[in-house]
Amino acid sequence: MAVVVPATGPAPAPSPPRAPRLRTVPGRIRAGAGAAVLAVGLLSALMGVALGHAGDGLRAIGHTAGPQVVATADLYFALSDMDAQVATVLLSGAEGGPGRQAALDRYDQRRAQADSAVLQAADLARGDPTGQLTVRAVLDGLGRYERLAARALLLDEQSPHAAGPPSQQALDVYRQATDLMRLDLLPKAYNLTLDSGTVVRHAYAAESSAVLAGRFWVMLGGAVALAVLVALQVFLVRRFRRATNPALLAATVVVGVLTVAGVLVLQRASDEMRTAKEDGFDSVLVLSRARAIGNSLHGDESRYLLDPQRADTYEQVYLDKSQSLLYVPGGNLDKYYAAVDETVPAFPGKSDFLGFYGSEADRVTLPGQREALAEVLKHYQQFQRDDRKMRQFATAGKNSDAVRQAMGTSFGVYDDALVELTELRRQAFGDAVAAGDRAIDGWNLLVPGAALAAALLILVGVRPRLAEYR
Amino acid sequence: MAARRVTALVLVGAVALLSATACGADSSILGKDSLVIGVKPDQPGLGMKKAEGEFVGFDVDVAAYIAGKLGKNARFVETPSSVREKVLMDGSVDLVVATYSITPERKTKVAFGGPYYVAHQDTLVRGTESAVDNVRDLKGRKLCQVTGSNSWRRVKEERKIAVKLVEAASYSECVSGLTAGRVDAVSTDDLILAGFATADLKIVNAPFTDERYGVGIQAGDLDGCEAVNKAITEMYQDGTAKKLLEKWFGKSGLALTFTVPQFEGCG
Repeated sequence: MAVVVPATGPAPAPSPPRAPRLRTVPGRIRAGAGAAVLAVGLLSALMGVALGHAGDGLRAIGHTAGPQVVATADLYFALSDMDAQVATVLLSGAEGGPGRQAALDRYDQRRAQADSAVLQAADLARGDPTGQLTVRAVLDGLGRYERLAARALLLDEQSPHAAGPPSQQALDVYRQATDLMRLDLLPKAYNLTLDSGTVVRHAYAAESSAVLAGRFWVMLGGAVALAVLVALQVFLVRRFRRATNPALLAATVVVGVLTVAGVLVLQRASDEMRTAKEDGFDSVLVLSRARAIGNSLHGDESRYLLDPQRADTYEQVYLDKSQSLLYVPGGNLDKYYAAVDETVPAFPGKSDFLGFYGSEADRVTLPGQREALAEVLKHYQQFQRDDRKMRQFATAGKNSDAVRQAMGTSFGVYDDALVELTELRRQAFGDAVAAGDRAIDGWNLLVPGAALAAALLILVGVRPRLAEYR
Repeated sequence: MAARRVTALVLVGAVALLSATACGADSSILGKDSLVIGVKPDQPGLGMKKAEGEFVGFDVDVAAYIAGKLGKNARFVETPSSVREKVLMDGSVDLVVATYSITPERKTKVAFGGPYYVAHQDTLVRGTESAVDNVRDLKGRKLCQVTGSNSWRRVKEERKIAVKLVEAASYSECVSGLTAGRVDAVSTDDLILAGFATADLKIVNAPFTDERYGVGIQAGDLDGCEAVNKAITEMYQDGTAKKLLEKWFGKSGLALTFTVPQFEGCG
């Protein structure tokens, strides 16, 4: 582009072959008018390109890749909830009754959800062989997991037990299933979400810098067109000793307004794109990851009760996951509970914690977001308190009390609050995308229309002057 | 006149745009020809400096693989644990692959690719020991306590297991103490234990923590960090990870994981 623009500058230096034509007055008028029409055409092309980038960027973030990424984030959630539901069924025992059936239904529902999320992930991984291999591995693993889970459930039905750990056979098979899920499938699903987040980040970075560069070129193109028009006007006024040429003046106004409006609209589109990405998309992704990890955290409670031999391991991963959600220093669960009890009530006055909620607390940009986050944290604290009670029951050997505690409502309440906070972000995301779409809506017709009008006005303006020489 | 001014404007604009892209490339490791990679000099199996000054170990091989995938030459330097954040922040080292656990505190200063492996705290005992299946079975036994290491706290303080602590200056001293019978158990990251394992010692294979070994990288280098993650994914997909883990730790009898770990995320 740097090559094109100077060439359209006003009054090109008279080159030898064209010199004779430019020496006559009508030749100069024609050259000036031609340059002006060309400059207007160029301006319209530059605007078209820049608006195209704005449209592409908004489409990628708002309508195609963005929503798909959020859908793949649900893959992790669905998978981890499948495993959590199997653990719940095994733990609830023969007299589990309606709770047992509800968990089985939820298992089926999550499996369907996981299937559709895998399809979205496969779609996003097109053109990325590494990602495709991962998607295929998840699909294969999911099949194996389902077989193992079904066998564990069958073995459990064959040897009815009270609430608490199931038969050793069922437990052995479940261990294989949960290891496959937690060590193999969930990490891959999580990495897929991160990968597809990268896809969106790249699209955003490329399109938003293209829009900003486009804004610069539109400004420049507009300035060139205006300069040519003013030069032509001045030439006509001096040469023919007439008042301002009204048609040419009108063309100048059209070009001026078009340039200013174009720059503003590109600015607006780029702002909305940034809002959608930073206030919406990024946070929705972080919160979806937080929800997914929270869900497997809840599963770790069931697994802790289910498999006493591995209780230490499950307790440790529970602590690690808790700390990735809300990080406060504390090397063991007792210290962590105490730190949470101290930190959460201090929010929002003080937010000296890290982890997913720490990063959300650092980015308070929406009305009501701080309150929604405070609500999430409050319920998270309650969930941790109930966890503590559950572990106290378990260490005291009160199995059925521990199971009842683990299946209590506090996790659901916490999860609902988190969904609400995510919804707030999702709303901001949708609003910004819609506002961006609205901003550039119609400009694909308006720009060429205005350019055409300006070109016609230029021709109308110079025509009577040329006629004087016929 | 106007034409000259326009040309000048175009030039200024072009220069501004070009320099902006140049800055972006500069701050990422992807813009460099060769990478300076920090590794450990004294961790058997992970990062060891040989007499000729060459580094060997699992971490070193992983780092070389990543550098190869990024199309860069690698130069290894020894990076003591205490300066890992500092050298990444001041840019004197591009990547740190040195049993560098990802923690929320560290993430406030540097970013992490990976983890490339999730190690677990486990326990090393004599091969003749048959009564220790789990960390809880260490009750009443002599556990080696290395000065400056926190691993013993996870047993005695966090899990409140009544062990008798026996001080030692380093893990290699612990291991010789274990062989000689001065201590009954050594507990720390399984990969570190595996590096010390000999025929008459065994790892209990009862992991009780997750130590996520990450690839330290300057905060903000998203492109570099994502490229590292992609390289790690491929390292597991093409079987290199399995090969390297077996090469360095296969003989120890440690239960190894051959599937890609859950990444921390770059952003």
